[in-house]
Amino acid sequence: MLSVNQTMRYLAGTVGMAALSIAIALALPACNNQSGFSGAVGNTPNGPRLASYEIVGTIGTPFTATVANSDSSWTFRGNIPLSVFICNNDLPAQVIATKTTSSTALLSLEIINANHVAQLQSTSAPFGTVSVQAGGTLTSIAPPADPDLRIFVSGPASQKYQALVEDSKSGFIISSRAPTLIMFDNPDGKVDATFFGAQNFGTFTVNMTLGGIVVASVKQGPNATIRQP
Amino acid sequence: MAISQAPCSIGRSFERLYSCLRTLVRLSQSLAQFFIDGFRVKYFFVHRTARGLIIPLAIVFCALLANAGAAWAGKNSSLEIGFVGVPPPGFQNVLLNVISVRVNSKATAGPGNGGWQTIPAPPGVGGSNSSAELQIDLNNLQDTPQLFNTSGVKAGTYHVAEIRIDPNISGYLVPTCPTAPPTFGNADGCITYPLQLTNTNTITVVDPNGIVSAKKGKLSQLILKVTLQSLVAPPNSGGAYTGTVVISAPTTPILGTITGTVNVSGTPATPSSGTNNKNRKLSVTAEAIGTNTPIATAQVKSGSYTLFLPAANNFGTLYDLAVTGGGTNLAAQRLAPLFPLTNQPLAADFNIGVPSSLGNLSGQITDGCKAKSPIVGATLAILLPPDVNSTADCTINPEECVAVLTANTDNSGDFPLPGSISTPPMFDNIPALPKGGSYVMEVTAPGYDPLFVQAQPSMGNGPGGCAPIGSTTFANCNLTLSTGYITGSIPITPPVPGETTLVQVFAEDTGTNNIESSLPMPVSITHSNAASCPSGPFADCVPFTINVPTLPLPGSMTPLPRVFDLFATTIDLYQGNTDPYPGHSIAVESEVVGPAPPTMPGACATATPVPFAQPIECIGHGSVQGSVTNANLGTSVVLEKPDPAIPGNLVQITTTPVVNQSENPTPSNNYSFCAPGGDVYAVQRLQLPTPEPSEAPSAAPSPALDGPAVPVVIPPAPLYNESATPSGTPSGPTATPTPSAKCPTNCTNPDGSCPGICKPVIQGL
Repeated sequence: MLSVNQTMRYLAGTVGMAALSIAIALALPACNNQSGFSGAVGNTPNGPRLASYEIVGTIGTPFTATVANSDSSWTFRGNIPLSVFICNNDLPAQVIATKTTSSTALLSLEIINANHVAQLQSTSAPFGTVSVQAGGTLTSIAPPADPDLRIFVSGPASQKYQALVEDSKSGFIISSRAPTLIMFDNPDGKVDATFFGAQNFGTFTVNMTLGGIVVASVKQGPNATIRQP
Repeated sequence: MAISQAPCSIGRSFERLYSCLRTLVRLSQSLAQFFIDGFRVKYFFVHRTARGLIIPLAIVFCALLANAGAAWAGKNSSLEIGFVGVPPPGFQNVLLNVISVRVNSKATAGPGNGGWQTIPAPPGVGGSNSSAELQIDLNNLQDTPQLFNTSGVKAGTYHVAEIRIDPNISGYLVPTCPTAPPTFGNADGCITYPLQLTNTNTITVVDPNGIVSAKKGKLSQLILKVTLQSLVAPPNSGGAYTGTVVISAPTTPILGTITGTVNVSGTPATPSSGTNNKNRKLSVTAEAIGTNTPIATAQVKSGSYTLFLPAANNFGTLYDLAVTGGGTNLAAQRLAPLFPLTNQPLAADFNIGVPSSLGNLSGQITDGCKAKSPIVGATLAILLPPDVNSTADCTINPEECVAVLTANTDNSGDFPLPGSISTPPMFDNIPALPKGGSYVMEVTAPGYDPLFVQAQPSMGNGPGGCAPIGSTTFANCNLTLSTGYITGSIPITPPVPGETTLVQVFAEDTGTNNIESSLPMPVSITHSNAASCPSGPFADCVPFTINVPTLPLPGSMTPLPRVFDLFATTIDLYQGNTDPYPGHSIAVESEVVGPAPPTMPGACATATPVPFAQPIECIGHGSVQGSVTNANLGTSVVLEKPDPAIPGNLVQITTTPVVNQSENPTPSNNYSFCAPGGDVYAVQRLQLPTPEPSEAPSAAPSPALDGPAVPVVIPPAPLYNESATPSGTPSGPTATPTPSAKCPTNCTNPDGSCPGICKPVIQGL
C-alpha cells in the first residue's frame, strides 16, 4: 500500500506530467515541423536547415526545370506539385521552371524558408517561364552536378513525412510531402536516406538515381531507408 | 560528433517524456541506434516512461478529442471562394499573394474572436498546408472570376469576410513603360516592384445583412472583389510601391452553376484486396473543354451534385465533365456554354452502370530514340466520348473526347504516381469494360509524338495491358514515344565578362501560337563560351537541340515533314532579381522544316536549319499597349515578330487577353505587352468564335487571327551611364545618356553603358 507521501508524490508527478504533456501537445502544432529533428543528427554533423523549392499550381501540369547553385546545376522534368531540396546547397541558388504545355494552367515557384514563403513567382502563360533566386544573385549557371545523385520520393501522395538524408559528413533533415526530389550536391562518400511517416502513412515509393541511372529502389512503409550501393 | 546531452540535464521526467517524442533511427553510416536527434535510449526507460505517461496521455487525448470534436462540429456546409479584381491602370501585372479567406457570423467579430471559418489556399495548388498561398493577378480577374478554394464551413449566415495577404511579401507590381519620365529614381518599366500594404494584411468586409448564407449540406459561393487603390510609387529605385487593398462582396452571384444527378444502377464494385483497396469517392470534375485541366470537383451526395464555375458573361465558357470513382463506370459529358446567371444553370444528368470488377493500369514510358531513357513527366489520359457525342472515335478524333482519368510518369518513367491509403492513384480501381473491352489511352509529352493505345485494366492487382489501336494482342503497358530533333544555332552578342545570358528556345507549329516544345534547360552563354556560327555574318552563336514531334497532328492533312516556327528569348536579371520580361531581343526563324518520322525504332532524324538571321542582343525593355474595338471575352491580342530572312512571315511570340471590358464601370478594352524595346513587331487580333448558346460543341473551338497584323516599333530605351559614349539604335532615335550608375541588368554593353528607362508605344486595334 502506498503511503500518503508516495500518493502525493505520485499525484504531483502525474499532474506535472499531464501539464507538461498538454503544454507540449499544444506547442507541437505551433512548431509546424520545426520540432523533432532540430537537434544533432547521429554521428554526422547537422547540415544547415534546408530551404525547399516548391513547384505548385494546377495539379498535373508538366514542366521542365533547372536548379542551380554556385557549384552545380540539375535539370529535370516533372509534374505539379513537386518539392525540391538540395542537400549541401551552396548558395546562392536559382530555380527556373518552364511550363511545357500550351494550356493556361497555373505554375507557381515558391521558396519556402522556415515555413514561410520567401519568394513566389507565378505564370499562367502557355510555356511560361518563371524564376526565383535565394541567397543572393547567381550570375551564371554552374555545370551539371557531378556526381548527379538524386532521390525521388514519388509517394504516397500529399502525406507529410520527415527524412534524414546524409553522406559520411553531414546529415540533413527534410520535412515534406511526396512527390519530392532531393538532390545531394558534392556528396562525401555514399548517400543514404531514412524516411519516417506517420502511423497510417502507407508505403513510401523511393528511388535513387546516379547519373540518370536508377541505382536503388525502395517500397516500404511507414518508414523506409534507401542506400547508395 | 558529440551527442547532444542537453535534455538529460533538464531532469529525469523531461528525459522520459522526451524519449517518447522522438523517432528511432538506425544510422546507416555507423549502425548505432539513436533517437534521430542523437539522444541515446535505454529500453527500461521506455517501459517506465510509457507506464508513467498513461494517465497524462489519456488527459491529453481527451483534451485533443474535445478540440477535434469542436473543430469538426457543424462543418456541414461547403463554401467556395473566388476573386474578381480591380487593378490600378498602367500595370502589366498586379500580383497579390493570398494565404486564406475566413468568414464569421458575427458582424463585430475581430481578428482574435472565435467563430471564424477559414478557407485556406488549396494545398498542392498553393503549396504545402502550412505555408500555402496563391498568387492572383488582378489584371486577369477584371472580367471573369478566379476560383480560390472550397472548404467545409458551419451552416449559417456570415456577416464578415476577411482576406489574409502574406504579411512578408504582399505582392508585386510590374508597371508598363512610363509615358512620361518617372518621378522617382531611375525606375524602369516591365520590372518587378514589391508591394507593401498601407492597411493591415488582413482586410475585411462587413455586411449586417449577411455576405453569404451557407446552407446545410449545400455548396455556397462567395466572390470577393479585390481592389488595389491609393497606390504610391516608391521614393527611390528599388523601393516598394505602397497601396491599400479593399474588398467588397458583390451581391449577385458571378459564377455559373452546373447541377445534376448521377443515377447508379447496380451495386458498385469493390476494389481487389491490395495496397490501394479504397475507391475514390464518386465525384464529378469540371475540366476546361478539350483539356485535362481540372477547374473544380464536386462529390456526388444523395445522387446529386452542384458545381459553381467561372463563366464569361455574354460570351459563355465551355466545360467538360468527368464522372469517376465510387466503383461505378466512368462517364463524360461536353456542355453547352455556361453563363454567370443563376436563372440559367446547366443541367447534366448521368445514368451509369457498374462494372463487374475494378482493375489497375501501370507501366513505363520511354524515349523511342534513346534506349532505356525514361520520359519523365509524360501525361497519360483515358479518353471517353461524351454522352452528347457517344459515337466519337477517340483514336481518330481525340479532340471530340473527354479526358476522364489522368496520370503522370515519375523520374523512372513509371506511371502512375502513387496515391495514398485514402486516395488511390487515378489509374487504380478503373472499372473493367464488358466483353474484354478497352479504353483509348493517349500518351503525350512535350516534343514527342502523341501515342494512342488500347488499355485494359488488370483483373485484380496486376499492371493491366495495352495494345496498339486495331490489335487484339495485349501486352504490358511499357510504351515508347517517338520524336525528332532540330539542331540549330542563334547568333548572339556575348555578354561582358562576369555576366551570363540564359537563352530558351521554343518550337511552335508554323503560323500558329501552338507551342510544341522548349529546351529542357536554357543555354547559358558567358563572355567566352559561345560557339562559332557555322555560317552567316555573325561570329558567336548559341547552339541548341530541341525535341519536336514528327507525325502529323491528329486529323491534320498537312504533308510531312512538319514545319515549325522557332523563337528564342532570354531569362534576365534586374538588380539581382529575376526579370519578369527579357531585356534581350527575341530571335525568330520561320518555316523550319522538321525532321522526318523515325524509319524504325531508334532511327530518329535530325533537321538542321540555317542559323537565325538576327542576333540576340541587349536592347532593354519596352512595352506596347492599346485598346481593341468591339472586343468580347473571346478576344485576345497576339504579339508577332517578322522573320528577318522572310519578312512576310510573322512568328507568333505570345498572346494576352483584352481586359476591362464592358461589364466594368469604366471599360477600356485594353491590352498590353512587355517586350524588348528598339525592335519591330506586329500586333494582331486573335478571336475565339462565340459559342452557340444551348449547344455543346463537338470539340474545343480554336482562336483564329482576325484582321490585319499591325506593325509596331517599340522605341529603344535610352542608354544609361553618362560615362559611356552614347550610341543610337539603327532603327530608332538617338539615345540620350542618363545619370551614371551601375547597370541594374545583366545587359551591359562593352563601353559600360546599358539600356535605361524603357518607353512604350500605343497601338489600338
